[in-house]
Amino acid sequence: MKLENEDALDDYIICRRCHTLHKEIAIKERAKACCTRCGNVLYRYDSQLTEHGLALSISGLILFILANSFPLVKIEILGHEQFITIPKTIWSLFTNDFYFVGFICAFLIFIFPMMIFLINSLLFALLRSKKGENITKEMLVILSHIMPWSMSDIFLVSILVALVKLVGYAQINMGVSFWALIGFVLLDLYMTRTLHTYEIWMLRKRVFTQEDRDDRS
Amino acid sequence: MIEVDEENLIRCHVCEAVNIDRGPNKKCRRCGSILYRGQKYTTHKSWAYLITAMIAYIPANLYPMLVTQQFGAATSSTILGGVVTLWEHGSYPIALVIFFASIVIPILKFLILIYLLVSVKYPLGRDKRVNKYKLYYLTEIIGPWSMIDVFVVAILAALIHLANIHIIAGTAATAFSLSVFFTLLAAHAFDERLIEGER
Ligand SMILES: [Zn+2]
Ligand SMILES: [Zn+2]
Repeated sequence: MKLENEDALDDYIICRRCHTLHKEIAIKERAKACCTRCGNVLYRYDSQLTEHGLALSISGLILFILANSFPLVKIEILGHEQFITIPKTIWSLFTNDFYFVGFICAFLIFIFPMMIFLINSLLFALLRSKKGENITKEMLVILSHIMPWSMSDIFLVSILVALVKLVGYAQINMGVSFWALIGFVLLDLYMTRTLHTYEIWMLRKRVFTQEDRDDRS
Repeated sequence: MIEVDEENLIRCHVCEAVNIDRGPNKKCRRCGSILYRGQKYTTHKSWAYLITAMIAYIPANLYPMLVTQQFGAATSSTILGGVVTLWEHGSYPIALVIFFASIVIPILKFLILIYLLVSVKYPLGRDKRVNKYKLYYLTEIIGPWSMIDVFVVAILAALIHLANIHIIAGTAATAFSLSVFFTLLAAHAFDERLIEGER
């Protein structure tokens, strides 16, 4: 295999599922390129990635705030009304002396999901205004470290499991935050499926190499 | 012009950039993360995390996960006990979900990681037929789902605390989260680059 220089390796991609090497080819707008060996989506092409990314990240952030500000579920049991919010669930672990579990849950369902959307919003805003070549790099590195540790989707399924366990003992009402959480999880899934790390790095490269050229001319 | 062998191309686990493998401790050309941790302790670190995870998994199954205090009397149930109770009450789907999340996934993940860690050091005869990258990818995808039971307990404990009825988390919740935490660390510490000759 012959290459012009090391940067030419950017035209190649290794499938994250089966590790087959592929050469990047130009694809149509909104189309996706799949791995020939395992069918995994390698990358997509979206000429308005910055705008879409920014819009999705900010909507996610708003949904996250909603999901944390109101009751998730209200139940009526033996004439008493009880409700939970995400912060209250975490807090009650601490007040019951389950510090380690509380700590883990705080990161998995609160701090990391929030950080991901905050960083994404800032990142796309910076890319849009073509600023911060180094900080965007650091942000992308942090993102790829914390993404596997964000578990909002699993928490949502856990709420459903917990409620099924209570059916028959209590009257259950869904709160505003429950619907916001569903929206947040769907958006999160959509973003991880459509905005791959690879595409954002390539976007960053396009943004800043263009900048260089503009400066020189 | 430079000439590279395709076998010598590796993927950065942080930014996914394709890099030329130039030996141990080289940094990724794009994001600067360490690419190839070729030292001896690479598998040692992963083994240490994995063994901690497996040790924590024992009390996670022996101690109660959930304690219900009803009118002064406390009843507690372990993970497996909880699954059996759910099954007996006819909640088959939930029983299956908890069974898979708390028993099948952790054990499967231990076995896959043990297999991967052993096979990178001592290749077994039939190894060629198994795509180890896919196995590793599988552990990354299914691993986090084992947290379901811990979240369920946290939700129930936060939701049910009346004057006469309390639900509190049991010791197993801590042991189980420790186990999941260390399994995830073990998987992350495992260098994908150690799986060779599979392309
Ligand atoms: Zn593939
Ligand atoms: Zn990299």
